[in-house]
Amino acid sequence: MMNVEEIGAPSRKRVLISIIIVSFTFLLLRLYQLQLLYHTEFGKKSDENSVRTIIKEPVRGYMFDRNGRLMVDVGPAYSINLIPALFDTSTLSFLSSLLQMEPSVVQERLNRGRIYSRFSPVRIRRDVDFKTLAAVEENLYLLPGVSYEMESKRLYPFHVRAPHLLGYCKEITDAQLAKVGGAYQQGDIIGSSGLEASYETFLRGEKGFEFISVNSKGQLLGPLDGGRRDIPSKEGFDLNLSVDFGLQTLAESLMTNYRGALVAIDPNDGGVLALVSKPDFEPSVFSGVTSVEVWNQLNNDPEKLLFNRATMTRYPPGSTFKMVIAAAALQEGIIDEHYRIRCNGAFRFGNKIFKDMHVHGSVDVVEAIQRSCDVFFYQLVLKIGLDKLNEYSRRFGFGQLTYVDIGEETAGLIPSTEYYNRVYGKGKWTQGYIVSLGIGQGEVGVSPLQMARYAAWLANGGTLLQPHAVNSVRNKRTNKLDVIDYKETSVGIDSSVMRLIREGMRRVVEMPGGTGGAARIRGIQSGGKTGTAQNPHGRDHAWYIGFAPFDHPKIAIAVMLENAGMGGAIAAPIAGKVMQRYIFGEVPVNATSRTRTASLNDTTLYH
Amino acid sequence: MVSYLKEYFDFRACLICIALVIIGLMSIYSATFDINNAANFHRQALWAGIGFLVMMITAFIPLRTVQRLSFAFYFSTLAVLAIILVVGSTVKGSKSWFGVGGIGGQPSEFAKIATVLAFASYLSKTDVSISQVKHLFIALCIFAVPMFLILAEPDLGTTIVFFATLLPLLYWAGVSSFILIAILVPILVAVGALFGTAQFLGAAILGGILLYLFRENRFAVAVAFGIALAVGLSVQILYEHMHVYQQKRITTFLNPEADPLGAGYNIVQSKIAIGSGGFVGKGFLKGTQTQLNYIPEQWTDFIFCVQGEEFGFLGASFVLSLFAALSLHGLRIATISKNKFGSLSAIGMTGILTTHTVINTGMAMGMMPVVGLPLPFMSYGGSALIANMTMVGLLMNFYANRKEY
Repeated sequence: MMNVEEIGAPSRKRVLISIIIVSFTFLLLRLYQLQLLYHTEFGKKSDENSVRTIIKEPVRGYMFDRNGRLMVDVGPAYSINLIPALFDTSTLSFLSSLLQMEPSVVQERLNRGRIYSRFSPVRIRRDVDFKTLAAVEENLYLLPGVSYEMESKRLYPFHVRAPHLLGYCKEITDAQLAKVGGAYQQGDIIGSSGLEASYETFLRGEKGFEFISVNSKGQLLGPLDGGRRDIPSKEGFDLNLSVDFGLQTLAESLMTNYRGALVAIDPNDGGVLALVSKPDFEPSVFSGVTSVEVWNQLNNDPEKLLFNRATMTRYPPGSTFKMVIAAAALQEGIIDEHYRIRCNGAFRFGNKIFKDMHVHGSVDVVEAIQRSCDVFFYQLVLKIGLDKLNEYSRRFGFGQLTYVDIGEETAGLIPSTEYYNRVYGKGKWTQGYIVSLGIGQGEVGVSPLQMARYAAWLANGGTLLQPHAVNSVRNKRTNKLDVIDYKETSVGIDSSVMRLIREGMRRVVEMPGGTGGAARIRGIQSGGKTGTAQNPHGRDHAWYIGFAPFDHPKIAIAVMLENAGMGGAIAAPIAGKVMQRYIFGEVPVNATSRTRTASLNDTTLYH
Repeated sequence: MVSYLKEYFDFRACLICIALVIIGLMSIYSATFDINNAANFHRQALWAGIGFLVMMITAFIPLRTVQRLSFAFYFSTLAVLAIILVVGSTVKGSKSWFGVGGIGGQPSEFAKIATVLAFASYLSKTDVSISQVKHLFIALCIFAVPMFLILAEPDLGTTIVFFATLLPLLYWAGVSSFILIAILVPILVAVGALFGTAQFLGAAILGGILLYLFRENRFAVAVAFGIALAVGLSVQILYEHMHVYQQKRITTFLNPEADPLGAGYNIVQSKIAIGSGGFVGKGFLKGTQTQLNYIPEQWTDFIFCVQGEEFGFLGASFVLSLFAALSLHGLRIATISKNKFGSLSAIGMTGILTTHTVINTGMAMGMMPVVGLPLPFMSYGGSALIANMTMVGLLMNFYANRKEY
């Protein structure tokens, strides 16, 4: 009925032999593929499996002021960590309640950590307080995979604020991680603004690694190779700032009730002595964990607390800009020291009248600076022309970045022919547009930092400096001090011109009829210039720039107070007190509150 | 003397078996010495000693006695299998363990041998011919009864071994290719149906072509094809009516690496262990995957990883070569054996050992679904070791008696 072959037919034997050979050949090929072709890949996975890498966070570098006083410190902080592979997810809600966190947040952090490695600890909460730490520690036996770890966090000595200058550190965001990658991981802290961000590579130090053998249950079996392969963490480098701690504190207290900025610079090297932006916030807000609520509150505050007004805002400089016009006109030979005009309180250009505050009568360039005569500069800026004005402004550091080391800054705005052509259209704007530029009004924008730098070259006789807050970095490996070099350029103004302009600035402060008498410092002479910048949104912005002592200046300053009124009345006294404190150093640092009341009283005196 | 021994003593099978047992013992030692002071190793070594004795005894029992006792052996294992279905203890979700007073074992290990012997014994009767449908049916029943008893435990792996042993036995016994194809095609179609409709249709078309190529008559082709389609369709309908978790269990079975934290975990870790071994391995007792117990109960089904990790490609390919040599040697014994019983039994023993080896090592290397089959001579477990060594003893017996009719 069926075709039956004899048992064990030779053809069938060959088929069975082939099946055996083919099967084992496949197995051998697979073995070859796994062990020889993909060996590296599996070897790496095997290493990751059996070795738990414990990352040892480095201690971040410190910051000292110019006198060696500690300004930014580090202290201990405890983090709660979780190893995804060992964590019992049924304890998630219990752990969340101990940490006072939303279970969904814990779950999310756990999931994100798991992507990197199931066996590496994920930081669930940073900088827990001692009560929380104690609660977690007591319940550790109920929470497999949970551990805590000591790390460091930023601490700020009493009185230190300077949040815009020092900056802050924050947990790295996904966007930052994608950008810097490499040495950073999810949950790491990274300098996110100010000096913390600019000097991140110096400050952060290097992570250390401890290698510990573990079995598949995650039980620690002890250090790998007796700890010989461990890499200790390396401390971050310290920064030595040019900032004067006492001066900074005083400046902050003087600025407390204002919106604005103050920048004081050493006119000899460009070192920032004090940098204030108000309103501000406590830097310690960022030292441990910054909750989403706190962050949103800071970030969405209508007063823009996080915004560094000293470097990032663009204000019209008002009359403080007049030395730019004067220097350009004198240097170009358009006028000389004998050139005079008659000010009758207004300047007519075409059918438009540009007003002055007073009728100044006959004034030369020095008197025009001393008394802040607008008419003098209205007509002078027309003589110079827009192109020269632009050229000189840029030479003096306006309309371009200062390359300060504090972080983000604005280049400001100095109008040019191209600018007007672009904004208004070619031929659709007239010379009348530039008249108000003569008194620093209109489409001119400068940052308080640029103004301090401007005050500094006026102080030092024409050297444009690169402002900076860090003088040197202490290399913790070599224990050497690396002094940082900064750029210096000459503004190219003849000393005879410098002498006239500086004389005008001296008279602003020291002579009757000067607008800056309120900045006078007892015992020494100083130079300065007031500015009152009109703005369409409210009261005038008050400006003062100055330097002291007049002959051998040690400090140059720019003060800008938004919507505060007259520069001579409001900004000048603050500048005067800051300069006085720096030169004589008598205001006690630990009496800030007293200084503040005193300063308010003083201000009334100067009115 | 030596030539006399060579004539009657199968050195090759014996030495391959001893080599594999020794490598297996080393692997078990490596995988367990830190866990329970090598208790598993000591027990396995004891069983290896017992196994060696059993092997030697089996090798020298007169062949006729073996043949005569095969049905008694067969029915007693059937009885034990039936009993444990009712009273057996459940180990790892499967009732396959039989224990009396502290001594226990897995009867299914011996049921495989008994079934092969009974099958061979039946077909070697002078009045039985596989060409007769009635005799073929009885022969199939000899296999089917223990197979279903074991499937009911449930022990899928051993069921697969039964099936994989039956096919070469039928083939060797001379069953027509068409019948073999007719048995295979429904399975092919059913597996295809588990993967999806397209695969189901593809498998059905391929099956139809195979059936047509090996056709004996058109009617039989139509019947076989109809059965295959019916099986495939019912699998599909069954699958669609399953709960999601049941479907997931099946997809995970077919592709364990899709679930790396669950069923796929062992596979992933096993591949890491083998792959990280490289060419020469990490050295005896130095495999990190093995020593840190990344693979749960590695000493049972995943013992091949130890060799892969600690002895590398050199060691693992040597082990595979030993198994291949044993399989080819078994086939050779079947070929040179002049009596039907020995020849068929040798094919059965070879089929069992080869199936176990290919499925187990293939699983450890991530080529096959995880079906829980031990690696012969190597995986920890007394019943399996003694059963496997008994099979080698039988092969040696068939070799010694190859010239008898």
